Amino acid sequence: MNSLKVDLLSVPGRLSEISFTVDSGKVIGLVGPNGAGKSSLLQALAGLLVYSGNVYWNGTSLDKIPAIERARIASWIPQEAHFEFGFTVRSVVEQGRFAHGDDQLGINEVLTAFDLIALSDRPVNHLSAGERARVLLARACITEAPIQFWDEPLAALDPRHRLETLRIARKLALKGSIIILSLHDISQALGLDQVIVVNNGKLEAIGSPNEVLTDELLLRVFKVQASRNLSNLNLELPTKL
Amino acid sequence: MNLSPHQSKLIMPAMLVLLVSLACVSLLVGDVNLSIRQILYGLYDHTSPSAMIVWNMRIPRLLTALLIGGALSMAGVVMQSFFRNSLANPGLLGVSSGSAAGAVIAIACGWSAISLWFLPAAALVGAFAATLGVLILAKRGASTERLLLAGVALNALLGAFTSYVLSQRIGLYEKNAQILFWLLGGLEDRSWEHVFIALPIVVTAIFLLPISRSMDLMSLGWNEAQSLGVDVRSIRRRMIILSTLLTAFSTAVVGAIGFVGLIVPHGLRLIVGPEHKRLLPLSFIAGAIFVITCDIIGRLAGGIQLGIITSLIGAPFFLYLLRKLP
Repeated sequence: MNSLKVDLLSVPGRLSEISFTVDSGKVIGLVGPNGAGKSSLLQALAGLLVYSGNVYWNGTSLDKIPAIERARIASWIPQEAHFEFGFTVRSVVEQGRFAHGDDQLGINEVLTAFDLIALSDRPVNHLSAGERARVLLARACITEAPIQFWDEPLAALDPRHRLETLRIARKLALKGSIIILSLHDISQALGLDQVIVVNNGKLEAIGSPNEVLTDELLLRVFKVQASRNLSNLNLELPTKL
Repeated sequence: MNLSPHQSKLIMPAMLVLLVSLACVSLLVGDVNLSIRQILYGLYDHTSPSAMIVWNMRIPRLLTALLIGGALSMAGVVMQSFFRNSLANPGLLGVSSGSAAGAVIAIACGWSAISLWFLPAAALVGAFAATLGVLILAKRGASTERLLLAGVALNALLGAFTSYVLSQRIGLYEKNAQILFWLLGGLEDRSWEHVFIALPIVVTAIFLLPISRSMDLMSLGWNEAQSLGVDVRSIRRRMIILSTLLTAFSTAVVGAIGFVGLIVPHGLRLIVGPEHKRLLPLSFIAGAIFVITCDIIGRLAGGIQLGIITSLIGAPFFLYLLRKLP
């Protein structure tokens, strides 16, 4: 089984000695209050911030490998996308194959999966925030990287596309990927395989949602009183759309 | 302004035909009226009376216009991609101001009178020193904002220096006129030496083509590009160096020409899209077309300097393009 091991990862002023190991085939929620370090952690794991410590994939350190090789192992989606130029949706998604020699493999399939076929010739700078988020998700998925770091991928999506995205994340996990996605809605983490909680740049807890998201932790970290009634709100995709 | 695939294929040949046509017109325009027959005689018979004008004046002027137009336009594409802003221009990192400062020093100190090569050499040194200054000011691996602000600061500093030298030379009419001519930018009296000085532009432009795909990814965000496999540090460095070279060699030969590197890439992107594989070569041709056209207009209007014409045509055209934006 493949695994991602993070060993004493620190970024000055942002993250402090974070260590954990996660196995492949898991969809993992990353939660924490605003400013806790969720985005910084994802950026550091993706090699976009200078850090001390180590990140290993199957025992091999990701620190010193060239960008193009790292891109084949780990993919990252930013919290917000700013598109200045009018690249078409298709050409932005195609960029996901850059590390594979721009072979354009599976472009139509991923455009279909994220409901982007009808938009494929539209300039990305004319899209809504939700549509842009789906473009970024499609670009990340097409990389076929076994580790996916998604920063708030669901924030701009409507309920249907949120569920579609979680379903795609689940499919990727079944194929052996690790998907770590930051969320600001804690209830969304309840249906995931694991939850990582960060607070003040430190790892607060890691484990299954039921183990980790206790009333005590929610009160201590998020300063909220848990109400289990809400957890009964179970959203599912309809069988026929 | 989206082109159909058929129109897209035709744009490169159409632009080349336009460039060649304008080049022919450019050979016909000048202080001395020459007929098409005299031009042709001049081209093929080096002993004909018109040969000197055609070979030593009009062709070097045309080639200089072609090279610097292409270079400034390409440099604009690179800077706009680098800063992810379609309002960026080649002078943003202080290259033009540094070049101007170098040239002004050479003129003020009288070096430009010693040899034809001294003025461009001083302009080149000024351009590279300014870019180096910006990179040092912004520190290694700086963000675009930091680079931009360092460029603004250096541009202001060098502008003040140039103005100071100009103000101290009051009374020295000839030197002031030379400085002003250079600051306005022009193609008057460009010779084969100037063409040779500008020739590295061709090599520099060719070096840009292999990084066109990486530039696509860079123009959507540095972090995104790196996460997709682009060696951002290396591509950034190459973009800055190559864009500096293009701007520096252009400015060294014709002085400060505004607007080419801003409006040509901007307008072209609206027509052919933002992908650099097409945008870079087309921008070279479009920049050459724009500068040769401006030069023809300037000569027909009685010898108005190129820099004035590019701004006079460029600014309204730019406003027109802005109206087309969503």
